[in-house]
Amino acid sequence: MPEENPLTREAFDYLAQAAGLDLADPHLDELYPYVRNALAGMERLAQIDVAGMEPDAAFRPAQPFQE
Amino acid sequence: MDALELCYLSAGELSQLIGRKEVSPVEVIDAHLARIDATEPALNSFITLLPEHARAAARRAESQLQNGDYRGPLHGIPVGLKDLFNTAGVRTTSGSRLFDTYIPPRDCTVAARFQQAGAILLGKLNMHQFAYGPTGENFDYGHMHNPWNPERITGGSSGGSGSAAAAGQCTITMGSDTGGSVRIPAALCGIVGLKPTYGLVSRAGLTPLSWCLDHPGPMVRTVEDAALTMQVIAGYDAQDPASADIALPDYTAALTGSVQGIRIGVPNEYFDAPLDGEVSQSVRAAIALLEQMGAAVTEVSLPMFPDSQAISGTILMAEAAAYHRELLAKDGDKLDPAVRLRLEAGLFVSAADYLKAQQARARFNREMAAVFQDVDLLAGPAEPITAPPILATEVDIDGQRVGTTAALTQYTRPYNISGSPAISLPCGFSQEGMPIGLQLAGKPFAETTVLQAAYAYEQATDWHNRRPPI
Repeated sequence: MPEENPLTREAFDYLAQAAGLDLADPHLDELYPYVRNALAGMERLAQIDVAGMEPDAAFRPAQPFQE
Repeated sequence: MDALELCYLSAGELSQLIGRKEVSPVEVIDAHLARIDATEPALNSFITLLPEHARAAARRAESQLQNGDYRGPLHGIPVGLKDLFNTAGVRTTSGSRLFDTYIPPRDCTVAARFQQAGAILLGKLNMHQFAYGPTGENFDYGHMHNPWNPERITGGSSGGSGSAAAAGQCTITMGSDTGGSVRIPAALCGIVGLKPTYGLVSRAGLTPLSWCLDHPGPMVRTVEDAALTMQVIAGYDAQDPASADIALPDYTAALTGSVQGIRIGVPNEYFDAPLDGEVSQSVRAAIALLEQMGAAVTEVSLPMFPDSQAISGTILMAEAAAYHRELLAKDGDKLDPAVRLRLEAGLFVSAADYLKAQQARARFNREMAAVFQDVDLLAGPAEPITAPPILATEVDIDGQRVGTTAALTQYTRPYNISGSPAISLPCGFSQEGMPIGLQLAGKPFAETTVLQAAYAYEQATDWHNRRPPI
């Protein structure tokens, strides 16, 4: 994301406002590079082939293993 | 018996002495309180210490014994709980001053089960704030210190649990593990940490970090104590929506001392990742010993292992931000700055990315299940390094600079994704005298196999008998 499709400061500010963060807070200057870095860590997800996989969003406890 | 010796007896050993009335719960608790007095200034394991509560409980336990009301192997055994396990009438801070005066109205299920079993709560243990960090650093209540070298981290997030068990402050401690928070401090402090199968130990009454990745688990000095603890805390709980309603095995019956016929897979990807040379050598030696003892060891492949950070990290960020969102808005500036950044970053994870991570998780688990068709256990390092200095943001792994958080969670996150049981136990020491952990992971609900192999290895070695210099 950050290198090929970087999160611009403008886009970050938009998302931050939508998330309820105070745009006047100087803390956002520290948060911006942190978020860029965190989203970069997620880039690898895009390479994973998940065709046919349903998300484990409602994770159910695993059942005893049966061979 | 010498008071210090009492503090280093296992729960199994103590329970024999208590059962035969050779040692009283009052003696045991007094010895541990003295040990805490002597070591706490250097370790900072506790957020809340409960000496009067513990002494009163010990007197009750002794009276019960005299009246023939024996509660089982944990009767009179000193226990410490990570400070995100709710305890009725005892403050539970989750490692944040924002909750400095929060007193839960009722016990979490784990605390209630300990109490029912006659165990005695010594106090609430220090932790990384909201369990969101793997180092055991805490700016509100002070950093946790490793008993093997107080300038080094304990690991986290259950750092106080690691140091308290390793230093003989508590016989049994409890941690919670979302990305490794039981196994990381267990490995770095030289003790046994078991992350049970997701749903086997109730999360009810624990402060969540990530609903679908959180696993409470025991942190103790011996594998037998992990089995004894599981016998008390495992089992269905209607208060936990993810609780598994299954018949429980006898965990201690698995401790045969044999690994004959157990099939152990060693993922070759584990040794391609950044890994300290001394750690690699110790872990390979441990696996070779298991093979000599009769286990069938084979190399296996987990091609998605390098994806585990992205999968687990995305899910964790989104869920932690969702849980703490209101707190962030109201009191964000009062949080540990690093924890605040982690929580706020989760607000930027899109629903599509979260669900993609959950899809990837399903694929990861399919791959893991396929590997477990051919083996009973997976073995490898619990940690790629020994404990680094407190506040180090990067570590050097054989000449490679790696972020501390990424390094510490490298080998632990895969089993939070799969929800399968994984244990860390001591398998050596570095030349600097810092502990090294071996990780064994099993099929879902195959805790008995994990404990069996861990116990056999432990009995064949003496790493668990070493004591920190504190």
